[in-house]
Amino acid sequence: MKSNKRTWLLLSPGITWILFFLVAPLIMMIYVSFWTQTTFSIKPELTVTSWVNFFSSDTYFGALLRTIRIWLTVLFVTLLVGYPVALYIGQFIKNKTLQTALLVTCVIPFWTSFLIRVLAWRPMLGKEGAINIVLQKIGIIDAPIEVLLFTELSVIIGMVQIYVVFMVGPIAFMIGRIDGSLIESARDLGASSWTIFRRIILPLSMPGVIVGAIFVTVMVLGEFATASALSGRKVNLLGNIIITQVGSLKWAFAAVAGVVLTIVMATFVAVMLRIVNLRNQL
Amino acid sequence: MDKVVSLRWILGIFTALFVLFLYGPFIVMGILSFQQGPEGGPQFPIIEWSSYWYQHVFGLAPPSRVAPLPIGEALIRSLTLAFATMVVSTVMGVLTAQAFRRPFKGSAVVFYSVILGMIVPGVLLGLGMVLIADQVGVARNWWSTAFVLHVVYTYPFAFLVMLAIFNRFDESVEEASLSLGVSPAKTFRKVTFPIIFPGVLSAMLFAFTLSYDEFPRTLFTGGSDVTMPIAIYGTFAVEIHPNLFAFGVLSTLFSFSLLAIYGILLTLSVRRQRQRASGLQEDIS
Repeated sequence: MKSNKRTWLLLSPGITWILFFLVAPLIMMIYVSFWTQTTFSIKPELTVTSWVNFFSSDTYFGALLRTIRIWLTVLFVTLLVGYPVALYIGQFIKNKTLQTALLVTCVIPFWTSFLIRVLAWRPMLGKEGAINIVLQKIGIIDAPIEVLLFTELSVIIGMVQIYVVFMVGPIAFMIGRIDGSLIESARDLGASSWTIFRRIILPLSMPGVIVGAIFVTVMVLGEFATASALSGRKVNLLGNIIITQVGSLKWAFAAVAGVVLTIVMATFVAVMLRIVNLRNQL
Repeated sequence: MDKVVSLRWILGIFTALFVLFLYGPFIVMGILSFQQGPEGGPQFPIIEWSSYWYQHVFGLAPPSRVAPLPIGEALIRSLTLAFATMVVSTVMGVLTAQAFRRPFKGSAVVFYSVILGMIVPGVLLGLGMVLIADQVGVARNWWSTAFVLHVVYTYPFAFLVMLAIFNRFDESVEEASLSLGVSPAKTFRKVTFPIIFPGVLSAMLFAFTLSYDEFPRTLFTGGSDVTMPIAIYGTFAVEIHPNLFAFGVLSTLFSFSLLAIYGILLTLSVRRQRQRASGLQEDIS
């Protein structure tokens, strides 16, 4: 009994903090989404007007669809780009020091300012940007590609570069943990490289893929800065909608957008957690 | 076997391209930060190499049409906020992880609730916090409403790092100390803490850098006194100039020096532990 008391005593600061500053704000957001919005304030009279407005407006419903489309694209591309890199680091580099060095190389950009990382894409992608200049010098293209900046494509490129690390890390970690003798014995038994990948490496790396997918998902769905900086405010995600609504004091409406975002995210994470128990992988 | 070798090459080249993709923008940004000023724009070609924009960041350049970056006070606020966040979240992380060393009822609920703090997007938390502050009538400030959200964000990181450390922790050392009659408080200070110190250091590094760079949570809750990332975000809306690139290079260097300090402290603590261990061995033999 005494040790039980000690446990809860140790937990109490953390739990209190989480209840007041994490759980309460989220509940408040759900609650306020049903309040009555007047021009510059909200009244605690319950209504579904804001919800109806959200789903019947092309602008906002369109933003939801766009958010989902960009999220799924970024998720797919980060997996497509990140998996081979993780495979190389985890399976083909046998030297542990070199392995760590490569992973650290991938993580280092994470330690620089997020906004600066977004901003750094502007001189890369522009009409007179680095990519166009290099491609023209090599002679691959004659005229600069203009769709690179201030389009949905530039938002996707920026997001992939920023978040792909969260895909590479967990997958490389899981692949690196695979027992080498397992693969050797499979090879001795005559399994082809493809079979080894499909039957051993892929299933054992799945927890990494899922953790990576969760990371990328929650980050991309909560995004607004990359979209506004790299699309010239042309691509509006749900996050951007929340920002503008708060800016014009439309609290109830911002809350609706927030709840919708939460539902999309929570559904995805819940499905993913059904597949893997996060706590056992630590 | 040949196929495996060629696959190794293909994947190796792919990884090299990947690293280029990660670092390309930084390299371009670094080059353009030496653009001539104040006429030179944030694009190629470089008119003439100069350190004008670096002087501009520090307010040393003669006044021109490009407004100086609103840093200074914002930087001090950000550093103070990051420091406070680091202290609180590391302490709470250690306490919570300490509690998790013994199995207890409801541990899964507590675990996921804490993790939620790093998962829930900042926009949503910021929004919820603003709604509460608005209803309760609390003023929004970087040291109050923003600070509590920063801790919600960084505390799970500290907790996870400490949990990983405690998982590999040899409890018999602690038990030996306790059974020799050393008080629990002293045991924590003299035995437990030195062992978990590398973890504490990592937790502190995470908390500090995450809070220093934190932006969506602060955007709504920070009030009128802006922190560094908010100040930078404010300059996005208007035309950008190479002074932002110079600032980017400087802040990147700042982050790296933090990493370097972390590395040095970690090496020192590992070395000291090794020396202590070998000293102990000599005492015994």
